[in-house]
Amino acid sequence: MSGSKKISRRELLKAATVAGIGGMTLGLSKVGEAASPKEKPPAQTKSTKKILGVDVIKLGGQGVISGAHADYGWQIQAGAVLAIDEINAKGGILGSKLELKFMDEELKPAVAVKNARYLATDWGAHLLFGVDSSGSAMAVGPILPELDRICMFDHASTHRLTEELVYGKGIKQIFRIAAPVYQESNLAALIFKDFPNIKRWAGIHCDYEYGYSVWALFKDTLKKYRPDVEFVSIAWAPFWTMDFSSHISAVMAAKPDGIIATPWAGEGVMLLRQALMLGVFDNIQAWFQCMGASVDILEGISNEVAAGKFKDKLWATARYIHNYPDTPENNKFVASFRKRWNRFPNYSAENAYSTIYVFKAALEKCRSLKTSDLIKAMEGLKIMTPAGERFFRPEDHQAIYNVPGGRVVKDPNYPIPVLGDLKVFPAQAYYRNPPFEPLAMAK
Amino acid sequence: METLVFQGLVGLSVSMYLWLLAAGLTIVFGVLGVLNFAHGSLFMLGAYFTFTYYGLWGVNFWLAIALSLLSVAVVGYFMERFFLRHIYHLDHAYQLLLTFGFILIFDDAAKMIWGGVAKIPAMPSFFEGTVSVVGRPFPFYNLFIIGTGLAVAIVVWLLFEKTWWGKMVRASASDREMASAIGVNIPTLFTGVFVFGAMLAALGGALGTPVRVVAPGIGAAMIIQAFIITVIGGLGNLKGAFVGAIIVGTLSAYGILLFPVFELFLIFLIMAVVLMVKPQGLFGG
Repeated sequence: MSGSKKISRRELLKAATVAGIGGMTLGLSKVGEAASPKEKPPAQTKSTKKILGVDVIKLGGQGVISGAHADYGWQIQAGAVLAIDEINAKGGILGSKLELKFMDEELKPAVAVKNARYLATDWGAHLLFGVDSSGSAMAVGPILPELDRICMFDHASTHRLTEELVYGKGIKQIFRIAAPVYQESNLAALIFKDFPNIKRWAGIHCDYEYGYSVWALFKDTLKKYRPDVEFVSIAWAPFWTMDFSSHISAVMAAKPDGIIATPWAGEGVMLLRQALMLGVFDNIQAWFQCMGASVDILEGISNEVAAGKFKDKLWATARYIHNYPDTPENNKFVASFRKRWNRFPNYSAENAYSTIYVFKAALEKCRSLKTSDLIKAMEGLKIMTPAGERFFRPEDHQAIYNVPGGRVVKDPNYPIPVLGDLKVFPAQAYYRNPPFEPLAMAK
Repeated sequence: METLVFQGLVGLSVSMYLWLLAAGLTIVFGVLGVLNFAHGSLFMLGAYFTFTYYGLWGVNFWLAIALSLLSVAVVGYFMERFFLRHIYHLDHAYQLLLTFGFILIFDDAAKMIWGGVAKIPAMPSFFEGTVSVVGRPFPFYNLFIIGTGLAVAIVVWLLFEKTWWGKMVRASASDREMASAIGVNIPTLFTGVFVFGAMLAALGGALGTPVRVVAPGIGAAMIIQAFIITVIGGLGNLKGAFVGAIIVGTLSAYGILLFPVFELFLIFLIMAVVLMVKPQGLFGG
């Protein structure tokens, strides 16, 4: 199969997806329209008046928009489109309008790399963003110097992206706006160190980069505070696990007090549902669903939460939650997002939305599209976003901001469950800091 | 010991989805001689149709499953009647190409109709609850799945061994020309067999709707396991598909419990051993 053929097939899939989603709901079709402006030839008329020298600033995004994890790609597009429309309505950035092209990374590193090359080289994207899977991020990161483009990672969360590729290898084109795995591993350890009765921990984790790093960091940090805890069992689940019953019953055989689990999106919903079926919540004290405060999971377990089936033992966090912080910026963002898409934004949406505003701030600061100028403008940048003030740490290009963890509860003010009993820790308390101590990470 | 019993039972319930999937694959191969790559997609369609009837339209769960089987039967009919029928005489490579094409078509169609996002309907309330097995709670639904899987095994066996239709099918499978000569309408029979296999796959997908992920792509993900099962059990052999499914399902469950680090590799290891010792599969002739 030749390279060009492959791309044309993906284009077809993409078009099909867009058309299909469009057929489903009105809101989604808006993403589709905005996400595939490729049919219209990009404005090429040269204008010397523009400060940045272009009429259109091209943004190349990618995320997973098919399969069990597809809601994330949808949310990335929805957040990005909202920001782009807001900015374009006010005249763009320094007089240049924004244009988006969004591609499916399919959770496959090779596809993500091909997309990045296509977006930067063939389509002519000035800036890249997105990528859901950690594996894809670790593959895209190293080719950025060659592409001479910045990529703002707004979901992929392995600590190695910023610790090893940016801090260690000095790949300065990588930035990450989303909280990395420190969020669900170290924060979880800080929360549960204060539960003296939870001594036996088990894990049900993704059988890839993401799961390995969360489990390693969680154990490492919790052990520092609580030498008495034991890690009694672990089960690994690859992508496309449709049935977690065997994983759940395997870890339950070790009689854990607490379980920490990483499967996300649709797989996370099914994991929790199957755990309920297996009576897990009668036999444990706490279950920490790492990205369980993502909107798609909250929607998916809404009935079960309302019926009290988790017995207040289900905990979660995310890389942003829509009910925190209570600031004008966040309230405005949530209101506009709900108005536009008729859903709550999950963290991918906020991360993508803020990505576009970080690009705006950086472009306005350096007034240049040159990658080296943009890197300088973004290092050390402080910017107010819906998730709170973000600071791009110059050493590793990681955005520092805090997100709480909490119990998944029903709240009369919201149509879906939310995090309550919030445990707020400053980001400094749970982010790893340079120089990063090497972490033994194994399956 | 209790742990092993419990884990085995969980594995057995997982096996039953695999059995329903592998059964149709192996029947179609055994009778029609076609290795249907898109068989997993029929499983996926079974799940999507059930989701639509039960999850979206609020149809009764049982009726939704029945309607879903009929819907997939129609899809299967068109697939066989207008496409596969024309390539029976060609090499396996062409069948593979055609049926692989169907995977892409079905996946894209699913994206167009249902969207890329995973579909998760509410759980039918009558399936809630657990029964105690060796002192641990075991889901009633999984017990129901095991029962259904076994019941289907018996029904399929009776159908092929004890009915006139089954005899015709077996006759055509062993000698197409002879069966035709004594008056069996081969094309119609083949359509029937293909539709029957499609409905078995659909049943597997339909039963998983409330508890398993339904998304475009599960067909391709499932078909690999089904192929492993039929390779272990013997291609075209129904008993082999049943035993193979139980081997794969329960051994994965034990692998997750006992060897979490290389559980994925275990199944391939077993397949490799079977291929080395008995290349035609455990029950292959």
